[in-house]
Amino acid sequence: ADINQIKVGLGLVKHPPPPDGKKIIPSVSIPPSEKTLAALKDSTTTQMASSSSGLTFKLHPLVIVNISDHHTRVKSQSQPPTANGFASDATSASSNSPPLSSPRVFGCVIGVQRGRTVEIFNSFELLYDPSTHSLDRSFLEKKQELYKKVFPNFYILGWYSTSADAEESDMHIHKALMDINESPVYVLLNPSINHAQKDLPVTIYESVEAERISVDHVAHLKPSDGGSAATQLAAHLTGIHSAIKMLNSRIRVLHHYLNAMQKGEIPYENSLLRQVSSLLRRLPAIESEKFQDDFLMEYNDTLLISYLAMFTDCSSTMNDLVDKINVAFDRHSRRGGRTAFI
Amino acid sequence: MNLNVNSVDSLVAEIQGLSGSTQDVNHLNNLLKQSEDVIRSQAATFASCLTRLDASLHSLGYLYVLEACTAGPIPEAQANELVLSVVRFIDMCSVEQIRLVPDKFISVCKRLHEQVMVLGAPMRAVAPLLTAIRKIQLSSEHLTPLHPDFLQVCLSAKCYKIGYSILEDDILEVDQPRDFFLYCYYGGMICIGQKRLAKALELFHNVVTAPMSSMNAIAVEAYKKYILVSLIHLRQFSASFPKYTSSVAQRNLKNFSQPYIELANSYSTGNISELEAFVQANQEKFENGNNLGLVKQVVSSMYKRNIQRLTQTYLTLSLQDIANTAQINTPKEAEMHVLEMIEDGEIFATINQKDGMVRFLEDPEQYKTCEMIEHIDSSIQRIMKLSKKLTTMDESMSCDPLYLSKVGRERQRFDFDDFDSVPQKFNL
Repeated sequence: ADINQIKVGLGLVKHPPPPDGKKIIPSVSIPPSEKTLAALKDSTTTQMASSSSGLTFKLHPLVIVNISDHHTRVKSQSQPPTANGFASDATSASSNSPPLSSPRVFGCVIGVQRGRTVEIFNSFELLYDPSTHSLDRSFLEKKQELYKKVFPNFYILGWYSTSADAEESDMHIHKALMDINESPVYVLLNPSINHAQKDLPVTIYESVEAERISVDHVAHLKPSDGGSAATQLAAHLTGIHSAIKMLNSRIRVLHHYLNAMQKGEIPYENSLLRQVSSLLRRLPAIESEKFQDDFLMEYNDTLLISYLAMFTDCSSTMNDLVDKINVAFDRHSRRGGRTAFI
Repeated sequence: MNLNVNSVDSLVAEIQGLSGSTQDVNHLNNLLKQSEDVIRSQAATFASCLTRLDASLHSLGYLYVLEACTAGPIPEAQANELVLSVVRFIDMCSVEQIRLVPDKFISVCKRLHEQVMVLGAPMRAVAPLLTAIRKIQLSSEHLTPLHPDFLQVCLSAKCYKIGYSILEDDILEVDQPRDFFLYCYYGGMICIGQKRLAKALELFHNVVTAPMSSMNAIAVEAYKKYILVSLIHLRQFSASFPKYTSSVAQRNLKNFSQPYIELANSYSTGNISELEAFVQANQEKFENGNNLGLVKQVVSSMYKRNIQRLTQTYLTLSLQDIANTAQINTPKEAEMHVLEMIEDGEIFATINQKDGMVRFLEDPEQYKTCEMIEHIDSSIQRIMKLSKKLTTMDESMSCDPLYLSKVGRERQRFDFDDFDSVPQKFNL
């Protein structure tokens, strides 16, 4: 699975899609603590997610504060020469100047995924084992149970880390998490300070099967109005379009595979066939007369509305045309056609 | 290089030689045009070369000679022969070649039309003229001068169905206004024959509202029929003209169709006996317009009109009451009328024969079916095409110099503050 990048920004910054999924445009940064809060308070504009997978991400400020707090804590703890078990290059510079490479921190993000919206509510820290480049699994599961008791609705959606860029070793962790959540998200906070930029230095990566996508997305701090109705509609339709496209491509893959199996090019695989047949037996999802009736009626209504709209438009054009023809060609024009005013 | 028209043989040879490729045919066309007068003056001698030319390969040359032969007056004896040869030619000619000289082709077909009328056998020209139209039409939306001839032949031969088939194409390009008037008028009559009153109404409406700079008889006749068809089909008639009617028509049409307008007025009262009396009184006038049949249909549609009005007032009604209110003679007759209307889909009702009650129902169409979706979808497609055409027309109209000059003139009255900047005239 490729990891693709989603930029979080407040404001209207749009980054062009990276030429290949692994290259990352360095994110801008501000000091994690105060300015983050200030920026969070001031933010007003929102942008609609325009990914081809149509996922909308909502990142709660608590998560950002958690991560930055984790990072700051670890950084301040690692200032004195006594090092902990966290992978890092310990800094010896004074606490005022930003370290060149600060210790990386890791953790899990939890939240809810409803349909196409992924909402990240909270996060907790994890232990990182630098030797195996993986996260401590038992610790994760313990924490997960605890959080489940307090927040029964929240699932593990992915993980976070702090650094300037995503790294190759992150893929290991990402893949490891894939058995908890089939498509985890990777939240990356860049802790380096850059006063010039106004955006939050948070980047979200999601894993995608087939295509490379690039999505601009927002940290929702207020209920988003999504811009005007037109952009909302466009975004909605784009989402549906990409969903259908994905469904179509997947069905085509299956179909091709089954065809090949039938022709004998691939050996029979009964378990797969069983899965396919169980999938097919689940269709059609809704098959009742009431559904048909309501569906057709609504469909007809929508068609009628478009028809009416076209009709009105045509009538208006026709009206203008008739007026023009009357002015141009009617010898005895109704206006009385006097020429000069003076 | 001139065509060698000294003898029949040489002409035949030339035509045969130059009918190979498109370029040759064009070349031949030019040559023939130059020698047109010669051919025409010696038409009789050249007639024999028709037997030696192949109509499908040498259509162009054949057409020139044929047109020359048919240009002059035809004696009765030869009419039959002429008809046969023209019919054969139309069947076999090649489309590309005849499109080079469309007016010759059209004049040949018109002669055919004349001759079959003279011979009194309009049926013979129906199929050939249809083929001819399809061959010379540039697109299915193009109105050729052959359309009205074809429709007239269909009317005389009472072949309404074939005539109707050509009416189903929408017409968007017209060469000559007279063709259009005649086409719509005859088309309307064919639709009446086919009992498609809605389409007939539309066609007559087109004639009445078509742009015209002076009154013409076709429009007057069409208006009379328009009134009658509107009464039969819509059961009402509105005397106001839409705003795209030419002012000429608006002022004068009513003067010419006085008795019909009075008929419409008397119809709207709903009193059958009055209506019948009026028809009796003016029978002669209606006969003169060849509209007596239609007028009789108007009278019989009066019953249906009254019944329809009852559906708006009552939910259930006995057959006796229907007969009384609608001025029908017996309940049996009323039942028959109601039954007819239910079958035609004009009203929705159930007749209870035991106690003679009729219950009026709502339209059961729920608009839930797939057919309705297809219907609406196709309508949307049609209206999209129409909308595109309208926008292009509107734009071209806005750039029309005639329109711009008039608009420029009129604007002066309102923009007197800046009339200096408004040009007096657009010198284009």
